[in-house]
Amino acid sequence: MSDWGMQKAALGERLAAGRQHARGKVVPIPSLGAFLTAVIRSGDRVCLEGDNQKQADILASALANLDPQDVHDLHMVQSGVVLPSHLDIFEKGIARRLDFSYSGPQAARIAKMLFGRKIELGAVHTYLELFARYFIDLTPNVALIAAVSADKDGNLYTGPNTEDTPTVVEATSYKNGLVVAQVTEIVDKVPRVDIPGDLVHFVVEAGRPFYVEPLFTRDPAAITETQILTAMLAIKGIYAPYGVRRLNHGIGFNTAAIELLLPTYGEKLGLKGKVCTHFALNPHPTMIPAIESGWVEQIHCFGSEVGMEDYVAARSDVFFTGPDGSLRSNRAFCQTAGLYACDMFIGSTLQIDLEGHSSTVTTSRIAGFGGAPNMGSDPRGRRHPSEPWLKAGAEAAPDADAALRRGRKLVVQIGETFGDRNAPLFVERLDALELARALKLDLAPVMVYSDDVTHIVTEEGIANLLMCRSKDEREQAIRGVAGYTEIGRARDAKLVEQLRQRGVIRRPEDLGIDPLDADRRLLAARSIKDLMLASGGLYRPPSRFRNW
Amino acid sequence: MTEVAANNISLSWYEASARQRIDALVDSGSFAEFIGPELREMSPHLAIFDLPEQFDDGIVVGRGRLDGSPVLVATQEGRFMGGAFGEIHGAKLTGLLRAALALKQDILILFDTGGVRLQEANAGELAIAEIMRAIIEARCAGLNVVGLIGGRAGCYGGGSLIAGTCSRLIISEQGRLSVSGPEVIETNKGIEEFDSRDRALVWRTMGGKHRYLIGGADAFVDDEALAFRGAAIDALRDGRRCDMAVLEAEQARLERRLQRFGEAEDAVDIWRTLGIADPSDVPALPTGAFLRAANDRENADDAR
Repeated sequence: MSDWGMQKAALGERLAAGRQHARGKVVPIPSLGAFLTAVIRSGDRVCLEGDNQKQADILASALANLDPQDVHDLHMVQSGVVLPSHLDIFEKGIARRLDFSYSGPQAARIAKMLFGRKIELGAVHTYLELFARYFIDLTPNVALIAAVSADKDGNLYTGPNTEDTPTVVEATSYKNGLVVAQVTEIVDKVPRVDIPGDLVHFVVEAGRPFYVEPLFTRDPAAITETQILTAMLAIKGIYAPYGVRRLNHGIGFNTAAIELLLPTYGEKLGLKGKVCTHFALNPHPTMIPAIESGWVEQIHCFGSEVGMEDYVAARSDVFFTGPDGSLRSNRAFCQTAGLYACDMFIGSTLQIDLEGHSSTVTTSRIAGFGGAPNMGSDPRGRRHPSEPWLKAGAEAAPDADAALRRGRKLVVQIGETFGDRNAPLFVERLDALELARALKLDLAPVMVYSDDVTHIVTEEGIANLLMCRSKDEREQAIRGVAGYTEIGRARDAKLVEQLRQRGVIRRPEDLGIDPLDADRRLLAARSIKDLMLASGGLYRPPSRFRNW
Repeated sequence: MTEVAANNISLSWYEASARQRIDALVDSGSFAEFIGPELREMSPHLAIFDLPEQFDDGIVVGRGRLDGSPVLVATQEGRFMGGAFGEIHGAKLTGLLRAALALKQDILILFDTGGVRLQEANAGELAIAEIMRAIIEARCAGLNVVGLIGGRAGCYGGGSLIAGTCSRLIISEQGRLSVSGPEVIETNKGIEEFDSRDRALVWRTMGGKHRYLIGGADAFVDDEALAFRGAAIDALRDGRRCDMAVLEAEQARLERRLQRFGEAEDAVDIWRTLGIADPSDVPALPTGAFLRAANDRENADDAR
């Protein structure tokens, strides 16, 4: 006969140990190290909150400062490995095993530590996938989270950057795990209750806001005319014919260009109200002109964006906001929305191979996945029809019985044939394969699989992979838009021309687009200042983005 | 102004190319280029480094009319090698300045440069010296040499030294004027001294508003070709001398500036010393309000 209630008892012991270092639920900063040593057990599964945006930075550095004699062999399960302290924890031997999703700024160091066997890697996930595992086989024993404010009972206000917090707390607290929150300040009454206090065991008053990275700000001044051309191609060649109203945009200058062309080029094409009305999207500053000119009906957000708080609060007709007026973001819900309720994902990538697999991994950098593979995949569980979904499905299988034919999500990869530092976008073999071999991974880290991608857009034109009927056609369609890269120059000119006749490849001139019209004057805003002015002064860009 | 002379092209100076700026600046259809791209006078050095060349070596020189008066114009293309001075690029400007002296015509220089091209540094440095000498000679002969600063590359390095010898400078908020660029300062003095990624810091230290406030530029205009054109017409109207009295006045002014602001840690401290009511609001002010707030700026006097 089992002895039931062991987890509850273990939690009770942790709580008792923690209370030695706290006043009520409040842990004073000077006691933070001793407190963490008391409540964390070696071998624990620990979720240190942090993703590509917000970071529980105070708790992260406190954890990294523990003595590995006291606490070791932790298994970190967290969305983002972003701060230097996240890796210091492994360097010092406090943690051993890692399951994560995103590692943008630490991409080079994490790769080095994996090669140096400093980290035992579980897997690299998408956000939603890691969240799912929190509820099945990666449930945290301890969650270290971040919020804006707390009251003395532990009720938390997470502000515009709620992001992962509700998911992490749900998985931890309801399964007898311990939840510790860092907050900017402790107040008498929180502006709104994002996390109920009975799920939060301890609170640390940090005295300053948690760190947030302005990851989704793209300066319009840096958008090139080639990017404008790719944006024109996407709008006229994909958004318009499919009538894409519900979508997600990736991060990058190509999609920023699309956002800034909606009120100008999109308007000229008569697309207002017909495309881009509903988004699963962070509050991108480059969306301001489109929102202000009435293009957008609704946006649900994964997180917030630094400087956009007041603007979002003033546009509650578009964004989800709480009774306190500020944005309510939720990564898990927004990822689900992007997966099931959007008809298109469009984003840029670093490498595309001849089958159409794409990856942002290079041999020396492991940037993780974040949400892109989830956004950029065709959900097999989808059952509701929509015009773009049905049309894409029909293009993929024109002879199938329409009533039994699945639709297809449009998954579009957009970029210039030569990217940053003239690296070719198209490659014979993804660097991800080399990395997987070197690290003996079962799976190569592929961002978007070839069977999910439907279109590739470059300045050379659009390749519609839905209409390719063989592996060979697919390869030539990709070579056909690969321009002067090695891949492009090795195309079969005759076959590419045939694909063009069939509309599988469409060049700018096939769409009635003159590349000379791709001019920066087409952008609805050409600088961060223009965005600030378009927002009526509500958008307050961080200092590093201001050129005034 | 005659019908032919009018020019109503409206465009962002910051965004425009060198040739778009010329078209918008001088009287409509009046520009004739010297040593145009068809002559393919290209850098003899870049090919050695396997770098792309340009048929005009990144500078357009020629003659035109401004509000009916004949002028010579040089305009740098900031998008080719950051508008940097190389051998041919520099020689075209030197030649134009010497032509100005011979023709007794005023000159406009549309700066958009990071300084000297590293790949042809010696030739570039020599060109800077030759250009400065030619400007002084033109000014001593009573000609106006007007610099316009508002391009994407700013006006840095040797370009800023040349700007310092002009008789008048017109600058926009986007324009930046400084000897050392932000990255150079950070590399040499450390990020604590100057964080080149803090763009607000870059602009309040080197940008058009600050340069205008401390008397480093004579006119402040919107980022708009029509505004630059208007200010250039005005600048040519009041001629400037270049003699011992002017140079001594300039020296005295610079000494006073150093005395007054030498201890300031940040541009905002200088603006406060100038008596601006809300100095930290300066970057956000639109042009009209800024010019009103700038009433008590450091003056450029007769010297520049």
